[in-house]
Amino acid sequence: MSGRLRRLGSLSLSLLVITLVVLAIPGARENAASFIDGAFGGRNRFNFYTTLNRSVLIVGMAMSVLVSFRAGLINIGGEGQLVLGGLCAAIVGAWLHAPPLLVMVAALVAAMLAGALWALVAGAFERFAGLPLVVGSLLLNYPAVLFASYLVSHPLRDVQSGSTQTPRLASEVRLPRFDGTLLDMGIFLVIGVIFVVILLERRSVFGYRHRLQGYSLPFARASGFPIRAVHFQTLAGSGAIAGLVGFIAVFGVNHRYIDGMLTLPLYSWTGVIAVLLAGMLSWLTPLTGFFFAALATGAVGIERAADIPREAAQIVQALIILFAAGFGARLHSRRSGDAS
Amino acid sequence: MTQRTRAPATPLCRLVDVSHAFGPVRALERVSLELRAGEILCIVGENGAGKSTLMSVLYGLLQPDAGHIEFGGRTVRLRSARDAIERGLGMVHQHFMLYPELSVLENVIVGAEGPGRLGLIDFRRRRAEVAALLARFSFGLDPDRPVRDLAVDARQQLEIVKLLYRRADLIILDEPTAVLTPQEIEALFAMLRRLRDEGKSIIVITHKLGEVMALSDRVAVMRRGRRVAERRTTDTDRDELSTLMVDGRVETLSRQGWARERTTLQVGSLSVSGEHGKPLVDNVSLSVRAGEILGIAGVANNGQQALVEALVGLRSMSGGHIVLNGRDIGDDDIGARRAAGLGYLAEDRMRVGLALSGSIAENALAGMESRPAFSRAGWLDVAAAKRHAAELIARFDIRTSGPRQPVARLSGGNKQKVIVARELAAGPSLIIAENPCWGVDVGAIAFIHRQLMEAARDGAAILLISSDLDELFALSDRLAVFYDGRISAQFTREQLDVRTVGAAMSGRASGAVPATSAPVSSAAPA
Repeated sequence: MSGRLRRLGSLSLSLLVITLVVLAIPGARENAASFIDGAFGGRNRFNFYTTLNRSVLIVGMAMSVLVSFRAGLINIGGEGQLVLGGLCAAIVGAWLHAPPLLVMVAALVAAMLAGALWALVAGAFERFAGLPLVVGSLLLNYPAVLFASYLVSHPLRDVQSGSTQTPRLASEVRLPRFDGTLLDMGIFLVIGVIFVVILLERRSVFGYRHRLQGYSLPFARASGFPIRAVHFQTLAGSGAIAGLVGFIAVFGVNHRYIDGMLTLPLYSWTGVIAVLLAGMLSWLTPLTGFFFAALATGAVGIERAADIPREAAQIVQALIILFAAGFGARLHSRRSGDAS
Repeated sequence: MTQRTRAPATPLCRLVDVSHAFGPVRALERVSLELRAGEILCIVGENGAGKSTLMSVLYGLLQPDAGHIEFGGRTVRLRSARDAIERGLGMVHQHFMLYPELSVLENVIVGAEGPGRLGLIDFRRRRAEVAALLARFSFGLDPDRPVRDLAVDARQQLEIVKLLYRRADLIILDEPTAVLTPQEIEALFAMLRRLRDEGKSIIVITHKLGEVMALSDRVAVMRRGRRVAERRTTDTDRDELSTLMVDGRVETLSRQGWARERTTLQVGSLSVSGEHGKPLVDNVSLSVRAGEILGIAGVANNGQQALVEALVGLRSMSGGHIVLNGRDIGDDDIGARRAAGLGYLAEDRMRVGLALSGSIAENALAGMESRPAFSRAGWLDVAAAKRHAAELIARFDIRTSGPRQPVARLSGGNKQKVIVARELAAGPSLIIAENPCWGVDVGAIAFIHRQLMEAARDGAAILLISSDLDELFALSDRLAVFYDGRISAQFTREQLDVRTVGAAMSGRASGAVPATSAPVSSAAPA
């Protein structure tokens, strides 16, 4: 309970600071208005749908991170898993000639498999070579991202377009969009992921072991849990979700794989922050993910209206992390003071 | 047992009506205490009675909410441990605060070395001072030995020397005997009496009443944050003190042998290799029959822990076999061993025995989550798990707000009850209990002991590893003593004797008995 309160406390504290930062800038009220308009407004709520679209990817990555973090596995290789997933989806989508539905399903499966496999490689490095997961998963981002860059710059490049990107997907295999918006049906996939994660966590033997293993590994071991299996299954699940997000980005948002489209917006890292801010609570994570998405789209609105660089939003993100960490640490030290 | 009559000692320090609260919990309520020169005062009480809080207030680590502290008749405010040390206070913590890689001399002067000329330490002068101190109190410590080479009792002496070097007049010891053998305890007591006779004021926090009677001049009893009684030791006895401590709640245990013919656990030539080639467990054989309680004594790190880990499956063995109910489980993983009837009360409750962030229901389910009663086809029956937890809470009298409460919020005794409840509810045929009552209050100890004995009565074999001889003597049908990775002696219940067992614990049993499953009488006292 107090964990939740702590998160909510730091969340509202950081919102307060954001307000103060915005107000400190000349012409504050207009800025605030253009921020809110940039995040939620626009003609026919266009910007709101843009925010939702972005949150689909951020929340998806956050769920990937959540799944591994809750089991005590610090898989921060989401970026590599996401990129490989997206790349595989793009390859299947552009080169597999089959009925549209089959192409979509095949691409989804390929993306999830690629993500899962890449996460398992990091797990295997830890298991068989003693390389800590946090290091291995992080380092595996680089080969994945650079390999994808190479592929889309050379062998798989769409030569006609002149950019480093794969050919555009045929319109019938793309994820359909909601009328008049850029938001696509990928949101249902992510909602499905959230639902499955929460269901497994609360109702399955796997989720139970997975959670308690995250609380204490020695406890899980002494209780006779199959910790190694849980470990690898968790990593595979976490990577598969990242791969699925890559599929959505390719089939829904961009309709092709463009170099840097998954890494430059920092989807994976924003997902990590969203999970930490939510205190690893699965029901709160989608909300914090949405919050960060709004922050990013709102920043674009402010930039347009008031010429404040959108990087200001990243400063705000950093402030939030500082508050979440600092507030948590103070509470922790106060609580451990009353040991007797 | 020096019962002396001496003139009333003068108070060095007084605590007057001291209160302290942690949020809504009142840890101390108007506690008054006088500390006198030339006297040994024991403070006894259950866990959570406020002993540690009281000492923290005295040591400047906590500020009293009300009341005050006087030194030499003048009220002072202790803002930190540094203030307290300047007033002549010194504390020997339960876990020693020493630098293993530094010498005895360096450990004594560290922090008190002061800025010398050119920022250098005048080692020659320091060595002379420390040597004089060691000679005066006839401590047998070599100033140049590195601390890592010292045995536990010598490390404790060193902690006391550190305080004397800082001219402490008031020496507080927190559970000083927990790590010592009976012989070492006597040596410690002799030393404390000497210090008392030199005019020091000694305060010992303990829960072992036998030691209180043997050592102290005066005893203060704490209960629920209050000092409920104070007695001259000559005017009281163990029964009165234990009644005062627990408010008359203790039930006496009656014990009888329930051992049956059937052998439940058979361990043959078990070895566990250590890091430096020296085995942690060296060719140990033992057996426990159904309904039998086999106690295992030994000073820490003599192989008992490694044996337990090998039996449970947490550590691989380098040789030997483990047979549980006629089946070799030596190659099984922990889950399979548990399914074969093994229950484990882990010593490390906070990490191994419990998942602290988990709820009582989650903790109570561990190890049984895939049984048909709680899951079908990989899906948990959450309601059944919750019911199970509620049943255990009622049956084991766990004080909690409900099955959803995180285990971290429970008191020490209730945490241990959750473990005992879970392990016993699984219906094990072998229970490995590792210091099951360590740090648990008197009421909970009695409860846990009764649970273990009822399990034995109902046919479970119990392997009880404990550092508390009172506990081992109270419960064991047979006792095996570990020394240096081997069983150095075995005793039947009738043969139990503190001196002989203590000698075996320190490896001084003449002619260690070959380890067999049959009870064998032990060697003569050293």
